[in-house]
Amino acid sequence: MQKSKFLPRGRKDRTMVLVDIRETKSAKAADIFLQVRPGKDFELITILRALIKDRQVSDQAIAETGLTREVIDDLIRRMKGAKFGCVFFGMGLSMTRGKHMNSAALLTLAAEMNAFTKFVAMPMRGHGNVTGADVIMRWQTGYPFGISFSRGYPRYNPGEFSTVDVLVRGDCDAAFIIGADPGATMPQPAIDHLKRIPTIVLDPHVTHTSKLSRVHITTAPQGIAAPGTAYRMDELPMPLKPALKSPYPSDEEVVRRINEAIAKKPFWLPDGSQPQMLNAQV
Amino acid sequence: MELQVINNATCTFCGCVCDDIQLHHDDVRIHKANKACVLGTAWFLNHTAEKKYPDALIDGREATLDEAIEAAANFLYEADMPLVYGMSNTTCEAQKECVALADQLGGLLDSHTSL
Repeated sequence: MQKSKFLPRGRKDRTMVLVDIRETKSAKAADIFLQVRPGKDFELITILRALIKDRQVSDQAIAETGLTREVIDDLIRRMKGAKFGCVFFGMGLSMTRGKHMNSAALLTLAAEMNAFTKFVAMPMRGHGNVTGADVIMRWQTGYPFGISFSRGYPRYNPGEFSTVDVLVRGDCDAAFIIGADPGATMPQPAIDHLKRIPTIVLDPHVTHTSKLSRVHITTAPQGIAAPGTAYRMDELPMPLKPALKSPYPSDEEVVRRINEAIAKKPFWLPDGSQPQMLNAQV
Repeated sequence: MELQVINNATCTFCGCVCDDIQLHHDDVRIHKANKACVLGTAWFLNHTAEKKYPDALIDGREATLDEAIEAAANFLYEADMPLVYGMSNTTCEAQKECVALADQLGGLLDSHTSL
C-alpha cells in the first residue's frame, strides 16, 4: 500500500475497522472486525454519536447492537485518535431497516467527529460512473438523485421519486434507461411494470432490459469507444481515453438527438407557463 | 500487425476508476490491459469495435437509428410521467443530456445511487 509523508509505514500506519453482520472475506484484510446484529446499524451509529460526546448510554442499549462497551470505547478512542478518518458505507446500510435514515445518521456522525479530528464519509460505488451521475445532478438540479420535474422545477424526495418505489407502485408511464440493466437487478414487481410501459434502453449490449423494452438503441461503450469524463469514487473527474472506434454512436449523441426531437414538439405546459430555467443557458 | 499503445487510460468498470492502465490495441479489439485488475481486464478485453448487435430495435425488430430516436422521442413525449433512470455506465456529458431530457419532459430523474 502507498507510503506517504504522513503515513511513512504505509498499511501499518492505517487502521481498518470492518462492521458487518457476518464475517466476510474482507474481515481478513481488516485489523478489527465488529459483528453488529442485523438491523441494528442505526442504533449503533446513534450510540457512537452519544458516546463521542461523553453522554451516558445504558448497558442494555449497547447489548442490543451485539457489541460490548469495551469494543465500542476502543473504537471511539481510535476514531478520535486518528489524524484523518473515513467511513465507507454501502448498500448493507442504505437498503436494510431504516434505509436512508441510516445513511443520514452516519453522515451526521462523520460531521460531528470533525469536532475532534478530520473525518469524512464516502459511499462505496459499484458501477463505473455513478459518482458522476450524483455530481452532474447536483450541479444541474441541486439534488443528487430521486428528482421530479413534474412541477417544472426540481423536487427531491427519495422514497417517492426513487426508481424502485416508482416502478413497484406503477407510477410512471414510460421509462428511459441508460447505462443500467434494471431488468437483471430490480425486484420482480418493478420489472413487471417496465414490461407494461414503453421502455427505452440505451446500452452497448442487448441486455435483459432491452428484451422487455419497446426501443433499444446500441451505443458505444464509455471509456473504450466513447470519449468523455468519469468521476472517481472520491469525486475526482477523470478524462477517458477511448482505444477503439465504435460503429455505434455515443450515449451523449443519442440523448442529444432525442432531446432535439422532443424540443420540436409543443411544450407540455400551456403557453406562457414555461419555467424560466428552461431557457437559461449555463 | 503493430499494436498501438495508450498509456494512463481510464477504466470505468467499477467506482475506483483507475487511471493508470496501459492498453495495447489494434483497430478491432484491445489485446492487453496492463495494470488492470481481473474485473478491469475483462471489461477492456470483452468490448470490441465489431458490429455484434443491430443499430437499434423497435419492438424486437431491427430498425435504423433515426427511426429509433423518433420512436423514443414519441414514447417519452406522450407519457404523463416518464422516468429517466440509470446513468452509471455512461459519461458525464451524456448524464448532463439526461438531466436536460428529464427537465424538458417534466419527468422523474434518478440514478443507481437510490438503490
